[in-house]
Parts: sequence; structure tokens; C-alpha cells
Amino acid sequence: MSRIGVFVCRCGTNIAGTVDVDAVAQAASLMPNVVYVDTNKYTCSDPGQASIAEAINENNLDHVVIASCSPRMHEALFRKLLAEKTNVNPYQLEIANIREQCSWVHKDKAIGTPKAIELVAMAVAKVDSNVDLHTTQIPVTRRALVIGAGIAGIQAALDIADAGFPVTLVERETTIGGKMPMLDKTFPTMDCSACICTPKMSEAAAHPNITIKTLSEVEKVEGYVGNFDVTIREKAKYVDYDKCTGCGQCEEKCPQRKIPSEFNQGLSFRTAVYKPFPQAVPSKSTIDPAHCRMLTKGTCGVCSKVCQAGAINYDDVDRVTTERYGAIVVATGYELINWANIYPEYGGGRYPDVISGLQFERLVNASGPTEGHVLRPSDRKEPKTVVIIKCVGSRDPHKGVSYCSRACCMYAAKHAHQYLDKVPDGRCYVFYMDVRCAGKGYDEFYMRTLQDGAIYLHGRVSRIYERDGKLVCVGEDTLSDQVVSVNADMVVLETAMVPPEGAGTLATTVNIQRGPEGWFTEAHPKLRPVETNTAGVYLAGTAQGPKDIPDTVAQAGAAASKAIGLLCRGYIQSNPMITHIDTAKCSGCGACVDICPYGALSLVEMTARENSRKVTRVVAEVNAGLCQGCGACTVACRPGAADLLGFGDEGIMQEVETYAYR
Amino acid sequence: MNDATQIVRERATALLADGTVAAVVGWAAGRGDHDRHVFVARTPEEAALLVADQYCGALAAKRVLSLLDEGKIALVARGCESRAVNRFMADRQLKRDQVHVIGWPCPGMLDPATGDALKRCTECQRRNPVLSDEVVGDPVPEPELDRFAELERFEQKTPEERRAFFQDMYESCIRCYACRNACPCCTCRVCFVDQERVGWMGEEFTADQARYYGTVRAFHTGDRCIECGECQRVCPQHLPLMLLMHKQVRDIDGLFGPYPGGGMEPEGPDPLRTYHTDDLEEFM
Repeated sequence: MSRIGVFVCRCGTNIAGTVDVDAVAQAASLMPNVVYVDTNKYTCSDPGQASIAEAINENNLDHVVIASCSPRMHEALFRKLLAEKTNVNPYQLEIANIREQCSWVHKDKAIGTPKAIELVAMAVAKVDSNVDLHTTQIPVTRRALVIGAGIAGIQAALDIADAGFPVTLVERETTIGGKMPMLDKTFPTMDCSACICTPKMSEAAAHPNITIKTLSEVEKVEGYVGNFDVTIREKAKYVDYDKCTGCGQCEEKCPQRKIPSEFNQGLSFRTAVYKPFPQAVPSKSTIDPAHCRMLTKGTCGVCSKVCQAGAINYDDVDRVTTERYGAIVVATGYELINWANIYPEYGGGRYPDVISGLQFERLVNASGPTEGHVLRPSDRKEPKTVVIIKCVGSRDPHKGVSYCSRACCMYAAKHAHQYLDKVPDGRCYVFYMDVRCAGKGYDEFYMRTLQDGAIYLHGRVSRIYERDGKLVCVGEDTLSDQVVSVNADMVVLETAMVPPEGAGTLATTVNIQRGPEGWFTEAHPKLRPVETNTAGVYLAGTAQGPKDIPDTVAQAGAAASKAIGLLCRGYIQSNPMITHIDTAKCSGCGACVDICPYGALSLVEMTARENSRKVTRVVAEVNAGLCQGCGACTVACRPGAADLLGFGDEGIMQEVETYAYR
Repeated sequence: MNDATQIVRERATALLADGTVAAVVGWAAGRGDHDRHVFVARTPEEAALLVADQYCGALAAKRVLSLLDEGKIALVARGCESRAVNRFMADRQLKRDQVHVIGWPCPGMLDPATGDALKRCTECQRRNPVLSDEVVGDPVPEPELDRFAELERFEQKTPEERRAFFQDMYESCIRCYACRNACPCCTCRVCFVDQERVGWMGEEFTADQARYYGTVRAFHTGDRCIECGECQRVCPQHLPLMLLMHKQVRDIDGLFGPYPGGGMEPEGPDPLRTYHTDDLEEFM
């Protein structure tokens, strides 16, 4: 006979407000094998915990039910209590969630109380079938992987590397840096973006603990927290980076000169063998196989002839490597929404002088295609009237996305300021829905832009069309209640941030979740903002949602500190609630092996005596380190040979029966 | 004696005589004129009793599994038997080198009692073997038919009519488990219905228990079903068991397809136990 103790928490009035706790305790005292019942105002408090430990020890309890808040809240705390202060195995504990799933969702004691009693009865039934489980320590591989090398990834990599752990920084483009080096100035301080970003890039490249893999993508992630086996495909660069000196001779001689430059947002051209910008890291050239004549047509070879270092290798192939990492930081950033597809009323890309904010950054940048002179793309003339439209794609659930992209209010103000600074006789109109300038020095910056002479019009632009060489922007100024039309020379669209292409594939590869908008989901929006629901995987920067550079860098530091914490500890406690295979029932069909997302199951040969005959047959086996206790195999297993320890079929059946027959 | 019977006997005799296989699984004649049962020939003499004609209605493939201890086994395999072999391999119950497949392009089987085409043959989509080591006779044209016709008729029913249909169906079920025993997907060591697990499955003889058995069996086999229809053929109560199977096969085709049906490919895994990064996740 087991001796079950039930402890019902009032949680102040959180539970007691809608559940008659004394009635629950009274009902619990009549449940099978329950020998001790107590109530507590705050079970999780120190005195509350002490009273549980005392009751367990004095009454020789061997199973414990705590009726309180969600097990996600305090189950670990109470397990620790059992382990440290009592002789009861910590897995002989069941939490009946009578707060989140009962008192908080009901208003009436007449409903809340019987439901709480049912929840307690189910927990009592289940705990009776619980078995002792034990944890073990699993060593952690003390290396980190950072996916994405924008400013978030670079910062996270530097922080982890500075703590003394080796880091691999994976970037799918040819250079690290991401979007930040493309920006001209950063708000609100107006310091040069590249000037503060490129030193970080060089620092990462020079750091003894950082290995940079560019043109690389994560293909597969196996394993679990502390021991992720990650397969990385490093695409062929056709240039031997060990030999290349980055002299740029190849780039000068390359005959393919009409390829739109990604770095300059299509406002200039690059060659087929190229470095996206002078401060690129690694500072080496790469051949773009889609445009290289030698690789597409087999005739050219100019770069190979001019390369003094003999670094060109047209036969280069992808390199696929698998390495083990303890922690993963996902910092894959954002891309800008493809506005041309969804805003035909803004020309849908027909007018060359309707440009995106990122294109404006390149136009106004001293190292950009116009050397910092604001010249419109169509005829390279200085625009005298510029219209800036905010929330293009953002806050537009019908065409774009419903969320606010957070940074655009500020960079719209910055663009207006920069334009008026460079073209003092110009006029700048900003169409806005709201001006959101929450941040240190942000509102002051906006005010300064207004003083510069930017004209803010509250309303959206409904149409842009061309007339007499002007872009006519028709919109509404809701404050004067008038339809306005502005004859602009150039229009800048402050477009929405969206998750980059491939984010969905990466989410399934790394096994993390995405929200409805496609951004990676944090484990808790407030209290665990950089963790994911997959232990050992952390989020940094805009991969988690739109944010500006200061927030991105801060979050990268936070993600790094979480990763460092894991790597410092050096081990993790194994989860004993894993799958167990009953080999007597297992027919070795391998359904569990196919379905396991963690590669924790395999088929092995087993020799056993059956009906006084020695037989060898194939059965499934669980790797306790890899198994995460998700239970997928237990549903795939038809005869029920796979069962989850701590969540066994029997315990669940007891719960269901108790509920059904009460 | 028809050609197929003659060639099967010759080949079986030869395979047994030279020791290639330990036994040949096929059919032999019973007492009645058109009685045929699954038969295991272990000697050349027994091989002379093999028959391959239009009355061999039973699915012979599952018999192979119980003979594997004896050595390599030859199986006379039509479309359905060959798909069963693929099924066994995908379920890791059989290795390719444990079986010698004598392919037999199927002429379509007849009901020995009525002389009509067997129901399972009228819904067949694959008469020629999908794999074989040798073939007896020439390939036959594959039937062009809508195997989901019955399902579509069923889906015209209102929810109340469907409920009544299943209530009626499971009230007639005697839970003899013939469907399970005949099914090439049912290769568990211990079936869930035979396990002593309190609260899961009782011994009561009620429509509820039969429905539980029928529904769980449908889920256990639906994503792997080779659509041989043998369950329906062996059912002494003539229950329309293939309805739930066809429903699942068609759904899988729609959701994760194109899906030709179970056992068409030699290797698993099957759609519902395969995970692709681009799988539908509209519920997430």
C-alpha cells in the first residue's frame, strides 16, 4: 500500500478565490491511499516547502501530490525539495494544476471547486503508478555554434569567444557583417555604421577562438543540449582562401561586369569574381558560379591567369563537415519585404526612383555608388523633393504584415535628416501612421528632424504615378482632413522587416518554433526572451523579431551569456523521463526509429530464450542521452512496446479512468 | 491444367531440387472443385500439388514469415503478394535475400462459390508483381478503375447515416480477429488486443469494444495498408473493412502525396512516419 500525501495550495487568493481549498482537501482525504492532507497559503514559499518536507518525513509518505500552479512553474522546485530534504524519489511527485487550468479560468467556486477535486483525484491516481527515476550527468561539449554573422551573430560569437570557448560562426553570404555595414549612419548618434561594424568584423576574424565559415549553411542538427552534432555545408568558393591575398587583381580583370551588386542593393554593378565591399571579412574574393563565364560556359579563365597567388580553382567543390557543439545561437536576422510584389499602387517596381530605405542608405553613403551624393537612380540628378513613406508592409495585415517593424520610424527620421543635410534647398515630406520613438535619445532626434524642416503628414500614400517627370504621390493628411498630392523627384519606402528566406527550414533543422509571422519563438516573452523551447538553442537579434541595433547587440550579449553559462557548467543533468522499450513486445519494425526526431532510437540484435529456445531477433534500443522524452515513439509503437517513463500508459490510463468513473 | 500452374510446378520443383529454397509458398487444391488454400511445398513431390489458377483467392504472402527459420523461401507472388513482400521489408520483418519471388501476373481471382470476380480483385490497382526474381507468364494490363468509388458513395451519407452505418457494422463484428491474422501489415509480436492492460481493451462482446478494436486497427495499419483487401475477404461477417483503409490512403495522398499506396516501393518509411522539413504544418 502506498502512502500518498496531498498538499493543496491557496496561492494567496489566486486559487482560494475561485476554489474552496478546504473542500478540496476534505475530498482528497477520502481518495484511495491518501494518508495525509494539508493546505498552505503559499506552498512554494520557504515555510510552505519546509512544512511539506516535515509532513513527508513524519508520516512516512512515499508519494506526493501538490495541487498548485502549473508544473512549468514549480515542479522543478518541488522535485528538488524531495531530493534534498526527504527520502522520497523526486519523480514520485505529481502536480495538479489547479491554478492556470482551474482557478484562473473560472469565476465561480461552484465550478472551480469540483474541477479542482477532479484534477487532484487524477493526480492521486497517476502518482500511485509512478516509479522511481534517477538522473545522470552528461558532459557538455564546450564549443558554441553561432548561425548567422550579422551584428547579432558577431557580438554573440565575440562574447562567447572572450569567455574562452571556441566558436564557429556560420554565414551563408560571402562576408560576415550582415545588413549593418550597408547602413550609412546609425540613429540617433549619427555615427558611421560601417565604421563601428567593420572593427567588430575584423575582431571576430582575428579572434583565436572564432572560426568563420562563410558561404556556409547548417544542413542537419542531431543530438541534444550540450552535444549537438551539426552538419555544415561550406559551398564551393572557387578561390583557395589559404592562397588568396585579397589583392583584387581578379576583380579588375573579370569581364563579367554587369551583375547587380547585392551590397549596393542593385544600384551598382559587380564582377563575377568579387568581394562585396572593401572591408569584407574574410577579405578574399569569391567566384559567383551563376555568372562566371568559366563555370557556366567553360571559356574565360582570366582571373586564373592574373592571380599571382594561384588561388583560383574552378574545380572547387562543396565541403560538408560534421562537428559537435554544446550550444547554438541562432542569429539569422531579417530581410526587407518584397514591396514591389504587394504595392502595385506604388509602381510595383516600375519607377526606378521609388526606392527602399536600404537603397537610400547606399545612395547617401560615402562609399556607395554615388559617393554619398544624393542622386536619384534614373538620371543621377539631385532630387529636390523627396517623399518618405513609412509602414510600407508593416502594420498592413491586408498586404504585408500586421506587426510594427520598430526601427523604421527612426530611420525614416534619419533619412529625412540626412537628405535635408545634403540637399539644403530640398523639401522632404514624410507620410506616417504614427511616430514611435521610444528609446534613449530617439524622440529628441525626431524633434531635430522636424526642426530641420521635414514635413510630417499623417496619412498613407494611396497611389504613386508618373507625370511630367515627377512622381505624384497622392495621399491623405488626416490632420487637415485633405487629400494631398506631392510632386516628388524621388520616393523612399521604409519597408517592413520579414523573416529571411530559409527561416522555416532552419527552424525545423534546429528544432525551434516560429510564431505566426515567421520569427523564431522565444521560450517566454518576458522571462526567457533569448532561450528557445529547445534546450541549448538561443536567439539573438532580429531572428526573434524586428529590433534596432542597440537592442540586437544587447540581446546577442544575453544569448551569449546563456550559452556561456551552459558551457561553463560543463555538464547537464539527464532527463530520466525518457522512453523505455519493452523488448518482449517489440517486433523490431523500426517505426520508432523512423519517427524519432532526435535519432535516439536504433535497432539492435538481441538474443533471448523464448519457449526454451534461444532466438536472436531485432529490437529497438534507446540512447538515454539523445532521448528528450517527447513521446513520439510511444504513439508510433503499435503494440505499446515503447513507453515513456514518468508518463507511462498505465499512469495516464489511471488518470483517464479516474476522471471518467468519478 | 493451365499454363501458370504448370510453370509454377516446374519452377518450384527446380528450386527445391537444387536447394535454392527450403520451401515454396503457393496454393493447392482442396476438396471442392474450386477450393484452393495456401500451401507450403517442401519437396519436389509436394511441388507437384501446387496450383495457380483463378480460384487462388487467399493472400499467400504472410505464410512466408513463419517459415524463415527453415531457410530461403520461394513465394508465388501476384501484385498483392509482391506488395506484401515490400511491406514486410519496410517493416523490417523480412530481408530481400530471405525470399525468392516467383512473380505471377494476376488474371484476377473468382469467388469459388459464385464464380464472380472477388471483391478484393475488383478494387485492385496492381496485378503485376512490383518485384520478382523471375516471372511466370506475360505481364497483364493493369486495371483502370476507381478504387475509392465505394468510399465516395459512403461520404455522401449524412453524419447520422454514417453513425448508424458504423454502429450496424460493429454490432455484427464477432471479433474473431481474422482480419488481423490475414493482414500483411499486422506483424506485431503481441497485438494490442491480446495484451493484459487494464482499462485498454476488455473482453466484453459489445459494439463499443468492437468499434475500439476496429478503429485502432485501422489506425495501426492505414498508413501502411497495401490495399490487398484480404481482411475483407476473410471476414466471416462480410464487413466493409476496406472503407477505413481507402479513406486513409486517399487522405495521405491528398496531404502528403502523391502516394501510390503501401508496398509499391521496396523501402519505407511510410508517409506518416516520415518527416520532411516542408511537411504541412498548418496546425502549428
